[in-house]
Amino acid sequence: MARVFIPAQIRDLTDGQEVVEVNGTTVREVIEGLESIHPGTRERLCRDGQLRPGLMIAVDSSVASSGLRTSINRDSEVHFLPAIGGG
Amino acid sequence: MSTNGKPKYKVIGTRPIRHDGVDKVTGRAKYGADIRLSGLLHGIVLRSPHAHARIVRIDTSRAEALAGVRAVVTAADIPPQGDRMVELGEGAVNMRHLSANVLAHDKVLYKGHAVAAVAADNVHIAEEACKLIDVEYEVLEPVLDVLKAMLPDAPVLNDDVRTDVMGGSPAASDRPTNVARQIIFTKGDVQAGFAAADVVLEREFRTGTVHQGYIEPHNATAMWNANGKVTVWMSTQGIFTARQQTAELMRIPVADVKVVPMEIGGGFGGKISVYLPPVAAALSKKTGRPVKVIMDRSAVFEATGPTPASYIKIKLGVTRDGMITAGDAYLAYEAGAFPGSPIGPGCMCVFSCYDFPNARVEGYDVCVNKPRSNAYRAPGSTNAAFAIETVVDEVCQQLGIDPADFRLKNGAKEGVRRVDGPVYSRIGMLETVEAIKASEHYQSKLAGPNQGRGIASGYWFNIGLKSAVTATVGYDGSVTLIEGSTDIGGSRTSIAMQLAETLGITAEQVTPSVVDTDSVGYTDVTGGSRVTFATGIAAIEAARDIQRQLVIRAAELWEVDPSTVTYVDGGVSGPDGKRMTFEELAHKLPETGGPVIGNGTSGKATQAGAFGTHCVDVEVDPETGKVQVLRYTVAQDVGTAIHPSYVEGQLQGGAVQGIGWALNEEYWYDDKGSMRNATYLDYRIPTCYDVPMIDTILVEVPDPQHPYGVRGVGEVPICPPPAAIANAIAAAAGVRMKQLPMSPPRIMSAIWERDAAK
Amino acid sequence: MRDFDYAVPSTLTDALALMAGASVARPLAGGTDLIDHVRTGRLAPDLLVDIKKLPELNRLEASPSGLRLGASVPCWKVIASTEISRDYTALVDSCRIIGGIQIQNRASVGGNLCNSGPAADSIPSLIALGAQCVIASKDGTREVPVEAFCTGPGKNVLQPGELLVELKFPARAVRSGSHYRRFIPRNEMDIAVVGVGASVTLDESGQRITDARIALGAVGPTPLLATDAAQALIGQAFDEVAIAKSVAAAKAIATPISDMRGTAEYRVHLVGVLLARVLKAAVARARGETFTYQPGH
Repeated sequence: MARVFIPAQIRDLTDGQEVVEVNGTTVREVIEGLESIHPGTRERLCRDGQLRPGLMIAVDSSVASSGLRTSINRDSEVHFLPAIGGG
Repeated sequence: MSTNGKPKYKVIGTRPIRHDGVDKVTGRAKYGADIRLSGLLHGIVLRSPHAHARIVRIDTSRAEALAGVRAVVTAADIPPQGDRMVELGEGAVNMRHLSANVLAHDKVLYKGHAVAAVAADNVHIAEEACKLIDVEYEVLEPVLDVLKAMLPDAPVLNDDVRTDVMGGSPAASDRPTNVARQIIFTKGDVQAGFAAADVVLEREFRTGTVHQGYIEPHNATAMWNANGKVTVWMSTQGIFTARQQTAELMRIPVADVKVVPMEIGGGFGGKISVYLPPVAAALSKKTGRPVKVIMDRSAVFEATGPTPASYIKIKLGVTRDGMITAGDAYLAYEAGAFPGSPIGPGCMCVFSCYDFPNARVEGYDVCVNKPRSNAYRAPGSTNAAFAIETVVDEVCQQLGIDPADFRLKNGAKEGVRRVDGPVYSRIGMLETVEAIKASEHYQSKLAGPNQGRGIASGYWFNIGLKSAVTATVGYDGSVTLIEGSTDIGGSRTSIAMQLAETLGITAEQVTPSVVDTDSVGYTDVTGGSRVTFATGIAAIEAARDIQRQLVIRAAELWEVDPSTVTYVDGGVSGPDGKRMTFEELAHKLPETGGPVIGNGTSGKATQAGAFGTHCVDVEVDPETGKVQVLRYTVAQDVGTAIHPSYVEGQLQGGAVQGIGWALNEEYWYDDKGSMRNATYLDYRIPTCYDVPMIDTILVEVPDPQHPYGVRGVGEVPICPPPAAIANAIAAAAGVRMKQLPMSPPRIMSAIWERDAAK
Repeated sequence: MRDFDYAVPSTLTDALALMAGASVARPLAGGTDLIDHVRTGRLAPDLLVDIKKLPELNRLEASPSGLRLGASVPCWKVIASTEISRDYTALVDSCRIIGGIQIQNRASVGGNLCNSGPAADSIPSLIALGAQCVIASKDGTREVPVEAFCTGPGKNVLQPGELLVELKFPARAVRSGSHYRRFIPRNEMDIAVVGVGASVTLDESGQRITDARIALGAVGPTPLLATDAAQALIGQAFDEVAIAKSVAAAKAIATPISDMRGTAEYRVHLVGVLLARVLKAAVARARGETFTYQPGH
């Protein structure tokens, strides 16, 4: 199961859990899985079927370049982080 | 110094002369202001004299009546944007805010905010016409300080801003606010961590608003043709994002805009967002003639994005033997007029150099009546590094621990979980500290009284994003390389070298060109230390594409099966010892079907991030508080140095900009929000008299995500200097500076306080 | 930028007639400040009178009776003059730090004075060296000591139609030395936060001060002649006690503003630091000792 790291500001929706284990082969499936366990989380992460503006996804150590379609391994970590712009 | 020692490459690691060198040295290179077109009109932007005001009325009739004036535009000439966010490559942008920044809607939010623009036969007429535009303002109270802007009774800049708390808003309030975003990270048990500490230090810091300091002002020349197609000539860090911003703002198809890149006189993050192209385009649409608009220096300072001022509080817990137990950070960054400060990266970088078992980070993005902030070299990271690296140094001083040893004990390495969540892959933080510790500089003795030495580390992510190149093999064995990456730091040559290495030819055989948006595939901005990495990967892919095609051509010539031919060592090898060099085969291309064109893209790869550790010696004049930088060494993990001279140049340039930020650079606002030092006379970037030669140590820990191990190098060198210099000042004068810049009056005040406390 | 007329008179008489004729006429010597001010709209003259080639304004004559320096003489000629370097050293100290080399090749000492900036680098040296302004108009000539020339930031005693023609310096006494230095946040290319110029004359023993003039820049609306600070030295042995008295007197007349270049408190403090350093340098020069000075340090 993928390990989804719950951003501190929405842990009120996961009963304080910092990591939730969810099945899924893509980030989108993982978010759907998370939503089914902890309703309300999807809306905080997505808007209009896309990742919310200002966020990025990291799978394990890498920034995911395919957004919600990014594929997930069975033991992957999924992180939701502020987007980075460079100079 | 190199950790991988042996020369693996023929071209990579050498120092060929840059392809654009002659044009730049002889003055023939064409920059944004050099464009000349027949029928060209000149545009001038009228800017707000107030930091915060409602626009009651704009009357342009007197200006339009002036002889030689061809058109006047206001926000009414830019189509309405609605409430929409648009992905612009480096992140999504609120189009209404971007549009209101280009030409103010109903309010001006900073002094210098563009209000209207005039196109005239020459700049003098346009300037005089601007004085004839009557604007009636209802002046509002400005708010200029990040903490004051967060107060509940502060003047509010934007009616449409609510605090974004990870996709939600605090239920308590539907009132407009200046606090646009909250960020929180936690790791472990912070309370328990501080309870386990022997030393807990809490310190507050302030940093000033700082400009990127590029020499060439913003510029744009636009031609709105009769067929609705728009061409923009400009210097920009990203032709494709400039094209998209212009098209989105004018609400026309992206394909109808062509951006032609001129050479760029520096950007450092400041030439990503557009200011002038939509204004020039709107003026051209009205006049049917090309219009050129160039900012003067004060407009560049007053109206384009600086890097934000900030308030940062750090609490650090450490055991007696120097192990970090906990950290707590609070960061508030000034977004300027519209949301979007680099608070996210600031929060992610603040503890990034160390292994924190327990930590909490809280950050805020806050609107104030200053220009909308923009990227500047490792945006957000330098502010944070100043704070954390100063506290680390003070802890080391209290515990009597060598600051290099402290970093070796606690430094981030592969497998460490960052406070914001992810685990580090292969990184070189410890190697940079070891390089400094082993350096002759760190080992040497200081030469005199009032001198001190400081070290500090810094981190920047480096980004990947998307690039495309096209490479065409000439029949003479040359290769033309077409790319869309603005060349700011020698990237034409660094990209060409990666293509040459892959094909086994020389860098001189490759002729690189940076072309317009109609002539190359989509390429993201030159920023985020990404070009040598990502456009490099695209060039390697293009070279491999050429290799594949050359194998087929050789097989045809030799009348053998292509599977028996391989591309190796700068040529093709076939059965029975058959062999042709790249150049020999190129000569035979006409008889095997003609040109060979290789394409390459990159879009999936991401970078592992880079670390640097700096060592600096300073002398503090005890009577004036003035700091002289005596000696400076940068050690940085550069992955693989493709062209070492340009890598060294990036490290030196970053350090010099960091020195300026540390000692003198700062926007000076009066209480009405008017910037009082909007020239390079009183906005003091260092001159060559103010910095010593910056020594560099290239630590090469290759990034496995790039075929040759490239890591971005451009941004991280600006992060450590303010802290390293603050630590050196503490050693030299016994004062801990907690505000940037550490200007002579501030240091003198600290010395007086120190003496009064004795 | 508004349109304006430009004239190049070949004689001083013609120049003075032109200056008297236009409603707003400005003389153009090096133009390093003027052109910028016209371009940015801070000044809006109707007529620029180019005076940089007039013979009377290009005089550079050192003689036993003193020095005559035409108002249009560029800084580089002052720096290159062996007589000025030897006898009026403070003026060379000033000219070396007005702008960079390109600016020094065009900018004139007379122009620096006529801009009348409180932080102008040449003016404290001119005051310390006792220079007199020779001012001409079509109606005649008058002389004003430099310390009485400036009347406020950017303002001076010149009336419409008047032109600064030259600066006259008295002959230097034996065993005299002078120095100017400023404090700036950077080491070059900057505006003085405080500037101090001083000239001293020593007795035969080289220990006692027989004459002194001290001037302060950037601590008031105009550069100041610090009479009491000089009086505190005259007749005294040159030691730390005398320096401290002079410093106290100089600080007493400093009324600086707080701005982005420094707080008032800091500027008053700097007056003391700089005056002590300047006096030691001027005395060293008066004694014929080698004195090396790295601007900015």
